[in-house]
Amino acid sequence: MKSEIHPELRKVGFITALLTFAPLPFLGNTYYQGLLQHVLIIALFAVALNIAFGHTDQLFLFTGGLAGIGAYATALLADSLGITAWATLPIAGLLTGLVGLVTSWIAAKRQFTVILIAIFTLTFQLLFTETFSGARDITGGSTGFPYEYFSLDVISDFTRISEDVLLYYILLVALVATLLIYLVLVYSKSGLAFDAIREDETAAESIGINVVRNKVIAGFVAAAIIGVGGAFYARSASYITPPLFSFVTVDVVVLVVLIVGGLRTTLGPIVGSILIVGVEQLLAGAPNWRGALFGALLIFLFLYFRNGVVVALQERMAQLREFFPEQEYNIGGG
Amino acid sequence: MVSTSTLVAVSIDALAFGFVLALLGTTVTLVFGLGELLNLAIGMFAVIAVILTTVMVDHGVGLVGASVASLVGVAAFGFVVDRTLLSLVYRSEGEERILVGIFTTLGLIVFLKGALGNFFPSSYTLPIDVGNIAIGDTVLIGNSVLIIVLSTLTLGVLLILLQVTYFGKATRTLFQDEVGARLVGIEPRRVRTLIFVLSVVVAGLAGLLFAATSSVSLSSGFELTVLALIVSIVGGVRSIRGTITAGVLLGFVNQYANFFIGSYVATIILYITAIAVLHVREEVTSI
Repeated sequence: MKSEIHPELRKVGFITALLTFAPLPFLGNTYYQGLLQHVLIIALFAVALNIAFGHTDQLFLFTGGLAGIGAYATALLADSLGITAWATLPIAGLLTGLVGLVTSWIAAKRQFTVILIAIFTLTFQLLFTETFSGARDITGGSTGFPYEYFSLDVISDFTRISEDVLLYYILLVALVATLLIYLVLVYSKSGLAFDAIREDETAAESIGINVVRNKVIAGFVAAAIIGVGGAFYARSASYITPPLFSFVTVDVVVLVVLIVGGLRTTLGPIVGSILIVGVEQLLAGAPNWRGALFGALLIFLFLYFRNGVVVALQERMAQLREFFPEQEYNIGGG
Repeated sequence: MVSTSTLVAVSIDALAFGFVLALLGTTVTLVFGLGELLNLAIGMFAVIAVILTTVMVDHGVGLVGASVASLVGVAAFGFVVDRTLLSLVYRSEGEERILVGIFTTLGLIVFLKGALGNFFPSSYTLPIDVGNIAIGDTVLIGNSVLIIVLSTLTLGVLLILLQVTYFGKATRTLFQDEVGARLVGIEPRRVRTLIFVLSVVVAGLAGLLFAATSSVSLSSGFELTVLALIVSIVGGVRSIRGTITAGVLLGFVNQYANFFIGSYVATIILYITAIAVLHVREEVTSI
């Protein structure tokens, strides 16, 4: 494993500590607790996309669809088998992981370019959302159903902590676990292979790197994380309908978060998620113009800020170091 | 047992839908082939043409005049977008340009949908009714025949434009080799602007034809974009003829599935066909 993992682990520790205390000022305020949950879920999706897109150039445009499969599969399996959703969640994760695996395998075997993978997965996204709407007997169609799974009332009664706060901490554990998986992948042999594949696939193959296997690993891990995150996403929304998983609702936001935060950075997805969810809240004051302002912001950010906030901060810190070489600055970046 | 006359009628509807898809796909193929810009906002140009036409018709302008005026309006808007937003995109090169193009046009479609939603929240259908055309036992929907005629003319003009004129030759040269094109005096940026404006006009026309048989809302912008992308990619992304073939193929798949099975399953089958073709096609891997 590469030695640079230790500073990255420290950054994860720093952000974990920060996020652990984040809900405390908002105890009792369900709106802000829901917002904080949303920040973590979007960050979770963005970390997963960072693995697939950031590190192996597989532009997955079916994050919403995968999240939907994870959410519906968890619920429907729990109902049909009569068991808790906690038990069906890993199965749903495995299922979405397999979808990612097969997609990546086809794309890698056929040597799809980034554009082709994007369109390929976008078609899957539409296929999935169309199925969620059309298979009414199974999914409830556009009417949907209440997503009352992952019961936390026993723990809530025992600890006297509200279910919303408990869900937040469960999501935080899931996010930290995802970040650790990300670091293990990126700072292992697989990470070196990812770097080589991104630079030049043919050259990577010529030095013995199995391009297909590594892309499939990245696709499986990313899709499995998104599937698990999708179940919590539905739980946080408390009601499940197909539009919850649409391209515009999920994929556009996650892409913006990832690019704004910074591709291939450890903390970028979290920084991006905090910023974008914050911006969405600022725009909530003008509900009719929210979409337009979000679109304009999207264009502006991609044109002028596409290396991400984390990278921009790192560059600014490097400049400061040049001016004040004797002082030390240690702000967490990616 | 389905009669032959019914099958003919369904085939005509399929051909009409296929040609609309072909027009949409062609817009993506032209712009991507020239400047490696995947225009995710293309469907919104089609919707804007429909909205402009509807507004003018509501204010007493004739349908033909309103359609032409709306296409001129869409062309002007396309020109502004090209000279402002896309000029910023074309500053990037290679894979970076592809990604910046994807994200910028994604932002544009989100912006347009959000902004126009304040003024045009409804669904729109154009008041075109050619009536039914009876040939023996077969009754054809007049609007479908009109769509086939107009889209065939448009695609024909487009192919002639690309094959015969200096502008077309310059465009095809740029498709093949940008450096070579520059060396023989072709200005890539100017050709790209013209092709972009042409592409949004064709998208606008596709939108108008689509609205002759279906209702169109701002949400349709994204659906039309996706259809355009699928057709273009299935057709090989750099081949106009391939795109037209793909459009007709997917049109037939969709309409036949719609007739025999139902609209929901038809959409699913359309996407599965697209995925299957993407999986097996050799040429598309060379994008």
